[in-house]
Amino acid sequence: MSATLAAARPEAAAGRTTFVALAAREMRRFVVNPVFLFVVGMTAWTTWAGRSPSVTEIDTVNPYPAIFLGGFGMMATFWLTRSMRASEPVVGVTPTALSARTAALCTVAVVPFLCGCLTLFAFLHFHPVGDSVYGAFSPPAQVAVLVGQIVVPSLGGPLLGVALGCWVRFPGAGFVLFLILYGWVSLVTILSMSHPDSTPVAVLRLFAPFAFFTLHGNAADVTAWRGSPWFFTGWQLALCAIAVLVALLRGAEGRARFRIIGTLSVVPVAAVIMLVLAGTGGFTHAVTA
Amino acid sequence: MVGPVLRAGAWPAVVGISGVAVVVGGCGGAFPAAATVLLPICFALLAAAAAFTLDEPASLVVDVTPTGPVRRTRIRAVALLAPLAAGALVMLAAAMRGLALPWAATGLALVGNVLLGFAAACVVRTRTGEPGATAGAAVVLVLMAPSLVPQVARWVRTFPAPGADGQSSDHVWWIVLAVCVVAIAISVGGRSLPRWMSSVP
Repeated sequence: MSATLAAARPEAAAGRTTFVALAAREMRRFVVNPVFLFVVGMTAWTTWAGRSPSVTEIDTVNPYPAIFLGGFGMMATFWLTRSMRASEPVVGVTPTALSARTAALCTVAVVPFLCGCLTLFAFLHFHPVGDSVYGAFSPPAQVAVLVGQIVVPSLGGPLLGVALGCWVRFPGAGFVLFLILYGWVSLVTILSMSHPDSTPVAVLRLFAPFAFFTLHGNAADVTAWRGSPWFFTGWQLALCAIAVLVALLRGAEGRARFRIIGTLSVVPVAAVIMLVLAGTGGFTHAVTA
Repeated sequence: MVGPVLRAGAWPAVVGISGVAVVVGGCGGAFPAAATVLLPICFALLAAAAAFTLDEPASLVVDVTPTGPVRRTRIRAVALLAPLAAGALVMLAAAMRGLALPWAATGLALVGNVLLGFAAACVVRTRTGEPGATAGAAVVLVLMAPSLVPQVARWVRTFPAPGADGQSSDHVWWIVLAVCVVAIAISVGGRSLPRWMSSVP
């Protein structure tokens, strides 16, 4: 038995080395991608432009990191994943499994995630917690709103792009999904403006990878909408986990496939619970402060 | 000749994206408050659908057949009827719901969007056999720029504002239409053989 374990250890170490090398290579490809460079430039510019004291609420600045790091990041990783298809006849005969290559692609999302963290710190520098732009939310909830609007979409968008690239052959799927999500978030936000106290509309607004939590109408005050930002972040993280699992499912075999399917049957349930808690938690009605 | 050229088109992509556009535009008609956001998205999707009309997976073979690029492009342009019909359907549904949009300007924006997608595909088709994904993504990003970045919207308006005194997008689309016609004429006229083939002795 000890001989078997001794043989398995070097194999595991070799697997780890291969994975690290693959992940580093994919990250290099992603970082030099023109779309990603454009995304970083636009995020930096919009964050810098949003430092102005004329900003009356966070939602005039916060969607941009989600649009660029999340939405455009999704398109970039979708194209990155699809580009592997062209080299599949060569790469497919190497000893590295498809799931290991997919996992390496998923690690690419760390780069936009770190950019999202930097954006969050920059935002907190320009608009410190407790500022009137956050509305009636408590300071911890204000941080949760920012994490859910800036950091988690930066992670989830690229992961969704990898999952999409693994399963969908249509080359335009990236931008079509981006437009659908953009349209959906816009629609449910506009619905929330006319029905701010409705629970179903609040759940619909949160049934998205990104959600607004405040509104600055014609009045001088900021209105905080229904919903718990903490549970919304949990919902978003569950969506990220689903994206990773769906991506890894492609090409997984044997026990690994069984384990992924098992986990995939649990995580969506957790996601639904988080969504319901997000929709029913927080303020019970819109609060203007 | 017309039948096989049309049959080889990327119909699933063209019809599929047009279908998604109808759903998005239909939501714009159903929720008038969201129409000014959803209708531009619908039109951007129709432009993307138009970009897929020239996709030719067998371009290596097709490009060396005696049927010239002008004739092939003219035949494939028939597929533009799908996004145009989808856009017209959305506009009709929105008008029946009582949406107060300047319909002539909206129609011009629809034609401009679709022609922009087709022109981008014509230009990219000179370099690759399947220009849809590249041209579609580029066109979507350009068309959505005013919605995504408000600073751009101050300078360029790609969708007419509702109401009688709303800002017009007509001048933008007339310029785009003129540029597109020129781009299509140049790219189709100059596309005889792919570059790499013209260098073969």
